[in-house]
Amino acid sequence: MPDHVPTDFREHEPAVPPTDTFAVVRSEDGRWYTVTGPCPTCRATVVFRVAYGVLGPPKRLLRGGRRTPEPLTGSIPVYCQCGYPHAEKPPESPDAGCGAFWEVPVPSPAPGTTT
Amino acid sequence: MTDLAKKRFAQLGQQLQLDQLTVVRRQAEGWRNGLTGLTGLVGVVFVLKGRESVAGMPAVWRWTTAALLVAAFGLLLIGALGAVRAAHGQLGQRTWLTGDRLFAAVLDEVERTQDALTAARRTSVVGLCAIVAAIGVSWVVPAEESAAGSKEPATAVPHVLVVTVDGPRCGELMAGDTRTLTLKVAGESGESGGRTPAASGWRSIPFDQVRSITPVRGC
Ligand SMILES: [Zn+2]
Ligand SMILES: [Zn+2]
Repeated sequence: MPDHVPTDFREHEPAVPPTDTFAVVRSEDGRWYTVTGPCPTCRATVVFRVAYGVLGPPKRLLRGGRRTPEPLTGSIPVYCQCGYPHAEKPPESPDAGCGAFWEVPVPSPAPGTTT
Repeated sequence: MTDLAKKRFAQLGQQLQLDQLTVVRRQAEGWRNGLTGLTGLVGVVFVLKGRESVAGMPAVWRWTTAALLVAAFGLLLIGALGAVRAAHGQLGQRTWLTGDRLFAAVLDEVERTQDALTAARRTSVVGLCAIVAAIGVSWVVPAEESAAGSKEPATAVPHVLVVTVDGPRCGELMAGDTRTLTLKVAGESGESGGRTPAASGWRSIPFDQVRSITPVRGC
């Protein structure tokens, strides 16, 4: 676990240091992505999960089988959910982190992955 | 630069991830209530309007109506059960209740719920169409039949030939009690001849004047 920096709570979008790397992993069934990496502000390792919205009528022509959504493109907005207490956090805030948020680009799917 | 909306929507997305199942369940409940109400409404219409018109139909159409109704009943039953299942499905059946599995189970359950709901909607709509078709048949077919000119409507009222001390009387048997027998006599069209035209209408015959009663196909 990298050292946690107890910064004051602040909702802002810090620049991501170029040395930080984020693992963007698609789940086996293709229905969610897991982003893992260090928070640019408080340095805690943050795991952020984004699921495919399965509400609404199913968009499929062929029956049967589990529907695999198309891979996500662009980037995933991620916010810090380090779980450490940060000072100055308003009590009504649902945040579980330092308040920082940033974007993580999604790598283009590897040829082996299912689409 | 701080685009807080970006974070708010990311938070909304995280919230929605957890709420998807609640949302779809509520939706399913709405559909279940709607489908049940609609089915009841059409069923009531048929019960009120249908039976008497079925009685005079040719056998083919009567069977068609019956088949349509049976099919409609089956479809509506399946649809109603599907909607109920969509509204009250179980989460986390036969799976390890770890966070990861449950996360996948929620997504599965949402999809299954929506499939059940779609199937319920389709079967209900087909079932309703079958009921409406049955109603349509029951409305249209007897009209054709009577227009085809069959003089004798298939009524359930039996005709009887009553021989009294005054002579025979023929009519529809309307009522009978310990003292009198009530006939509905068609005056002019009576084939027995010699009936006065004033004899049309309801006619009570005291039992002590009755010699015999014979059921007949018509007068
Ligand atoms: Zn932190
Ligand atoms: Zn942080």
